[in-house]
Amino acid sequence: MSLLQLKGIVKNFGAINALQGVDFSIEAGEAVGLMGDNGAGKSTLVKIIAGNLQPSSGEVLFGGERAEFANPLQARKVGIEIVYQDLALCDNLSAAANVFLGREVQSGFGLFSRLKHAAMTERTAELFSELRSETRPRDLVELMSGGQRQAVALARTRLSNPKLVLLDEPTAAISVRQVAEVLARIGQLRDTGHAVILVSHRMGDVFEVCDRVTVLRRGRKIADKPIGKTNPEEVTGLITGSLEDA
Amino acid sequence: MPSDKTMLSLIDNMIWIILVVVFTFFVFQSEHFLTERNISNILTAAAVLGILVVGQTFVLISGNFDLSTESTLGLSALMGLWLIVPAGAPTFGGGIFLNPFLSIAAVLATGAAIGYGIGCLITLGRMHNFIVTLAVLLIVRGLMLAFSEGAPVNGFGNPNADVFYWLGHKKAFSIPGIGTITVAVIATALVFVIGHFVLQHQKFGRELYAIGGNRKAADALGINVERRIRQVYMISGLLAALAGWMLAGRVVSIQANLGEGFIFTVFAGAVIGGVSLQGGRGTMLGALGGVLLLSTIDRGLNLMHVSVFWVKVIQGAIILAAMFLDAQRVRLRELSLSVSSAAPKRSG
Repeated sequence: MSLLQLKGIVKNFGAINALQGVDFSIEAGEAVGLMGDNGAGKSTLVKIIAGNLQPSSGEVLFGGERAEFANPLQARKVGIEIVYQDLALCDNLSAAANVFLGREVQSGFGLFSRLKHAAMTERTAELFSELRSETRPRDLVELMSGGQRQAVALARTRLSNPKLVLLDEPTAAISVRQVAEVLARIGQLRDTGHAVILVSHRMGDVFEVCDRVTVLRRGRKIADKPIGKTNPEEVTGLITGSLEDA
Repeated sequence: MPSDKTMLSLIDNMIWIILVVVFTFFVFQSEHFLTERNISNILTAAAVLGILVVGQTFVLISGNFDLSTESTLGLSALMGLWLIVPAGAPTFGGGIFLNPFLSIAAVLATGAAIGYGIGCLITLGRMHNFIVTLAVLLIVRGLMLAFSEGAPVNGFGNPNADVFYWLGHKKAFSIPGIGTITVAVIATALVFVIGHFVLQHQKFGRELYAIGGNRKAADALGINVERRIRQVYMISGLLAALAGWMLAGRVVSIQANLGEGFIFTVFAGAVIGGVSLQGGRGTMLGALGGVLLLSTIDRGLNLMHVSVFWVKVIQGAIILAAMFLDAQRVRLRELSLSVSSAAPKRSG
């Protein structure tokens, strides 16, 4: 049984058909590269899985059960974490505040609840050391380098022990050395039994860490192949449309 | 050179340095400035302004703003008293002789409802916050004028009205060196403490900073942004009503133009105190500093017998100075950030 299974996902934005019946599945311990040109529907698909968007029609099964996420919090509750393309960080808050945003640790109830600052700072420090990042929990995100910002966004996904991690263009805005670190972390996630979906434009990244590559073109899935049975030339052809399907 | 953090916290807490400088200036300018009576006056004058600034700070931190609170303040003072006084004599208005406690409850509920309505228009109606709050500012003020036909309402010698006046009128106790502390000052201090607690130690406050800092990110992480914005306007309206109730006890006879033009002082207080108009930045403590500074300047100029005409000019200049400070604060921040990122640093 697949960890995540999508059946006939359709998403329309007014007259635009962003996704036109996409099937997709992923197992635990598997890393899948999701590729496609701009406007192919990658981000839309990822946002549906993460609960940011709801499909116009089609079915999402997570752990064999039907899942309809009204918002990202519900997706996170069942174990789906996402790192957004723009990282979704608040520059005006500290690293710890960003990591726990939306999931703050509190004591007390209702009007009398109170944030447990110390507990959150401590946990954030642990997460950073697991990621081998020297980012400090109390530092403001606006003071951070691209790699540190990435670490903050990644640390979020480790707050719970997620089953599925979605990464939307995680290497788009960072230096070469940091790309290697991010890829190593993706490999680490997969090897510890997590399912990883990597949305990327960078062929090299996908071929380095993924087991399988799925190609979308104009809202349709046109290929889904193990990395060993394809090559960058073929995938490029599929993305641009010079190859019809494979 | 001080570290980035020291630099940033200096930039953000500039208000307290300015307050000390201004305070010292007035101490040397007027022998009456450091008297118990004057200190007590500064605090009492700061009370009503302070409550409005707390409300505005919540709204500003969420990346919004609320121009309407001066009208809500006026309405709640007028309405609260009008509900209490008996019908009849023209100077007593045309009231309905309601129990004063019910009147207070009605006033606070009305303020909260006005704020919530504004929040709904902005979030559900997808309208711009400037236009919505400006329109409500005009509508509420217009209703007050139309309703009262320009005649003042007062509750002289009416024991029920005295209950209503309590918040703004009653003296609580005296502290040697500082003078009489009114109930209003204690109430405002309490509102600041609660405001500070909510912003710094509660999830709600944390979410407001997130919304003001990066609304899209807050939304993506599952924070119900629009609901928070409605709540923030509701708080602002509720606090404006509280401020109106308080002010009623100080002025006693309520005119329909009560509080007109006050909103500029409210914005000045928040901005001088380091609350950014761009959203996401500022603290209640800073806002308190801004309120105390404005109140200090107001009383100081009064004691120096500066003509009221010039006081207007100076108030305008202070608002300009506040905007200038805000702009420089942003620039200094960026400057100190770019210096820090140019310096070699460990990367993650």
